[in-house]
Amino acid sequence: MLIDWFTVIAQIINFLVLVYLLKRFLYGPIIKAMDKRQEKIALRLEGARKKKQEAEQEAELFLQKNREFDTRHEEMLSQIKKEAEARRVELIKEARSQVDADMARWYGAIQKEKETFLQDIRRRTVGHTCAIARRAIKELSNEDLENRITSIFIERLQNIDSNEREALVQAIKHSMEGIRVNSSFEIPGESAKEIVRLLQNLTTDPIAVRFEILPELICGIELKLHGRKISWNIADYLESFEESMRAAIEAKGIKET
Amino acid sequence: MHITPDSIILFQLGPVSLNATILFTWCIMALMTVGSWLVTRKLSSATRLSRWQNLLEVLVTGIRDEIREISGQDPGRYLSFVGTLFLFIAVSNLLSIIPGYNPPTGSLSTTAALAVCVFIAVPIYGITQKGLSYFKQYTKPSVLMLPFNIIGEISRTIALAMRLFGNIMSGTIIAAILLSITPLIFPVIMQAFGLLIGLIQAYIFAILAMVYIAAGARVRQNKSGRVVESSSS
Repeated sequence: MLIDWFTVIAQIINFLVLVYLLKRFLYGPIIKAMDKRQEKIALRLEGARKKKQEAEQEAELFLQKNREFDTRHEEMLSQIKKEAEARRVELIKEARSQVDADMARWYGAIQKEKETFLQDIRRRTVGHTCAIARRAIKELSNEDLENRITSIFIERLQNIDSNEREALVQAIKHSMEGIRVNSSFEIPGESAKEIVRLLQNLTTDPIAVRFEILPELICGIELKLHGRKISWNIADYLESFEESMRAAIEAKGIKET
Repeated sequence: MHITPDSIILFQLGPVSLNATILFTWCIMALMTVGSWLVTRKLSSATRLSRWQNLLEVLVTGIRDEIREISGQDPGRYLSFVGTLFLFIAVSNLLSIIPGYNPPTGSLSTTAALAVCVFIAVPIYGITQKGLSYFKQYTKPSVLMLPFNIIGEISRTIALAMRLFGNIMSGTIIAAILLSITPLIFPVIMQAFGLLIGLIQAYIFAILAMVYIAAGARVRQNKSGRVVESSSS
């Protein structure tokens, strides 16, 4: 008989014991260890996934920030460029206007100095010219010239128009200190008498005529009474020449500036 | 020459006899238990693990995957039974490489014991899974089929026992015969074939056991419309 029933029963028991032992020492611990490892791996994977997600989020955040920064940077840069350009233009404008103003001032000052210098030269020129003229005339004057001057004066006195005559009459009337005839030379007696006569003809009242010699008249005669004056002298001509010269120079100077 | 190790009696006390089958079974049990304990007492749940742990994990994972594939269910409840069947038969067969060793699976008593275990386990798993309605499947497709179903159940159990016994016993005997005819080289090749056959037999036994158990516990999937083979013998 190949089957020994005692052995069969013993083997059944043995097998059941082995099932228990292996469950206790093999399957249980091994499965537990594998589950644990799987759990750990799952946890680590989950952790890694979370970290990856966080990293991605952070990367996204950083990218976003970078983009914003770039945009702001660009904006600020362009704004600064604009401002700098505007400032540059403004500064150039300011500098130009400053330079223009300075140049104008300088030109003005130079022009003024030039003018002053020219005026001075002109004045001196006129002054010297007149002085030379005065001196020349003074040196040239002689009796004939004095007679001729006296006759011209007398002629002028005779030929005065009615208005002038009227004014002269009024002046004689109001003159308290009398009539004064200044001359650069001594008037000859005849001529003096003629002058007195002509003046006397103007009024019925007696008049007192005083003859005085004034060297500054250079060469000439003048009648002065109460604000009125009838004269012929070189000094007047020279003065009027000087006046007109001065006026002409001034006018020219103004025109030039 | 012994056809079965049962006949090698080491100790006898009345009806209780200690034969080579039981002794070698105990040796295998001790070897497996101690081996498991040595490996599993310092298990690592980290990603770095020892070679032995790796080996055991590969074995257990392989068995679980196989069970899951066959039963289509969570392998947890079947693992201890089916896994132990496979490991015990495999170790028992592989150790036949050791001279003087008689594989307990070469004893009809052992294979019968294992077959009886499967025979009992099938209804137990079936009842746990489906309740007493498990027995209804013996009357399908008709009540007339009840005796045939029972005969089928018994015959497949006997076939299970006989297949394993026949293969292992024949392997051992062939090796012994060849050793006496051509003592050089040829017995070594046959021994190597014997190892392969032993491993295949362990696989076949465990797979069939699982198929029988799964067939008995598959009522829910059937109701939900899944197409499943009722049994395969």
